[in-house]
Amino acid sequence: MNGAASEHALILVVERDPHVRELEQYFLEEAGYAVEFAADGITALELAGKLHPKILITEILVPRLDGLALCRRLKADPATRHIAVLIFSILMAEGRAREAGAESFLHKPLEESRLVETVRQLIAGRSRPRNRELAQ
Amino acid sequence: MMSEPKATPAAALTTHAVAPGRISTGNPVTDAILGGGFPASTINIVMGQPGTGKTIFVEQILFANAGGERPALFFTTLSEPLAKVVRFVQEFSFYDESLIGSSVLYDDIGADLAEKGIAMLVPRLKEAIKSARPSLIVIDSFRALHDLSDSAAEMRHLIHDVTGLLTAYETTAFLIGEYHQEDIRHHAEFAIADGVVELSRQPLGTRDERYFRVLKLRGSRYLEGSHAFRITADGLDVHPRLVTPRIPVTYQPAGERVPTGVPGLDDMLDGGLPSGSSTLLAGPSGSGKTTFALQFALEGVRHGEPALCVNFQENPTQLARTIQRLAGSAAADLDVLYSSPVELQIDSIIGELFRRIEAKGIRRVVVDAIGDLAASTSESHRLHDYLYALTQHLVVNGITSVFTFETAGQSTTGGDLNAGPISYMADNLILLDMRGEDTMRRTIRVLKARGTAHDQDIRTIVIGPDGVRVT
Repeated sequence: MNGAASEHALILVVERDPHVRELEQYFLEEAGYAVEFAADGITALELAGKLHPKILITEILVPRLDGLALCRRLKADPATRHIAVLIFSILMAEGRAREAGAESFLHKPLEESRLVETVRQLIAGRSRPRNRELAQ
Repeated sequence: MMSEPKATPAAALTTHAVAPGRISTGNPVTDAILGGGFPASTINIVMGQPGTGKTIFVEQILFANAGGERPALFFTTLSEPLAKVVRFVQEFSFYDESLIGSSVLYDDIGADLAEKGIAMLVPRLKEAIKSARPSLIVIDSFRALHDLSDSAAEMRHLIHDVTGLLTAYETTAFLIGEYHQEDIRHHAEFAIADGVVELSRQPLGTRDERYFRVLKLRGSRYLEGSHAFRITADGLDVHPRLVTPRIPVTYQPAGERVPTGVPGLDDMLDGGLPSGSSTLLAGPSGSGKTTFALQFALEGVRHGEPALCVNFQENPTQLARTIQRLAGSAAADLDVLYSSPVELQIDSIIGELFRRIEAKGIRRVVVDAIGDLAASTSESHRLHDYLYALTQHLVVNGITSVFTFETAGQSTTGGDLNAGPISYMADNLILLDMRGEDTMRRTIRVLKARGTAHDQDIRTIVIGPDGVRVT
């Protein structure tokens, strides 16, 4: 467990799929992070303003406010623009994620070591892509 | 679906390596049929009746991919006890004891399923994903879950849930089942599956023919049709279906002639057989077909053209003796592929034939005899497809070929020739015959020689120690 994880850094996850939610929570908590969930983009925006998570992980396909719009709104607000955003989606939309201001992108399905390593890099302030998806 | 539109010679398939993002089957030929292996992170059904080799096929996949950081999980349900599955896999060469318990994990969930019902499956899978992080998950048998479900609705809900979980996590799943063809329309798992492969078995005489067939493979091209296989000590030994090659638009039959090696016959054929042509050599038993065909092959050897003789009839010792008598020192250079007609499997013979053509630069091929190939398959259309594809491959590659065919009786016109598709596919048709009661007279007649001025008369032939010659 690294230093950031040992402080139980908070990660806000925006995800509808119950299986993805459960697995993300399990692997992130196992890596030492605290996890909160939002089921839609609007709720996520509200929670981000209140909880100030270190990282927000969002699927693009979420209700009310999609993940890309959510990212743009977070980055447009001085109070939340410091939150690192990881777009974790079934869509191959790395370019659009970058345009929206996301620090990182991962393509589903979930593979715990890739997810945890990406989160670690974001928390360490090294958002430069290293995983296979970002390198493409 | 991107099915297989491209012609691929069987021999070329064997050199295909597993592609990135693919799961190898542990067999390069099967990988090639699948377009490079099963696409990773997919859900695949392996269907077939009991005893067709489903479990062996999937275990071969597990061991071929084991040894990385993430293990492979094999769940048995209620079809076959775990002890049996594990006992039999040890008989195969791909089995590796050192991988068991670390890289390949077996788990029997049959008792829990029987006690708690099918609803326990998803929590159990989830628990396994969290604790083991598997790269491969096998459920054998998935079809058995239907027998445990209380309703179609419950089963449909389970399949939806299993699909959701196996899609959420980066793993490649294989659902094994004793499914029938009609199950494809009725069982929901076929709708959600990314890949479906079928293993089947058909009786043929005293043995069985086994076939591997890809029914569905999302996001991948694959080689359509039924591919014969055998179960060997190394697992499934698959022979890809021979696909008819595209004849290049620039293709022109070679104009030159190749000598037949039968004295007197070249004069009847305006100098010999056209290079790259195919010839059907028909006649009754004892008319000299095998000797004629061997002379043709050996003549190639003498002229520096590597030759292959595929024989199903003579026993190997007898054949070797005949070749030695006809060829002398050239005998050693003739490549002979012998297969017992009892064990003959058309796919494996054709596959081996192409491997040798490619490896040895074969320029002349003799197949003795077509009738044995016909007996090796229960499906006449399959023989037709094979012969057509085979002759086209030979033509495209400029290989001159002779196929023998044994007729039931005398024929001077070929009208009663029942050699199947080869009789009209062949460029040339030569009839051998035997006449007379007190004194036997052997004859030869060139009935057809495409694009060649030829002697159409019936000529006498004699068979001596040096072979067949036209008098």
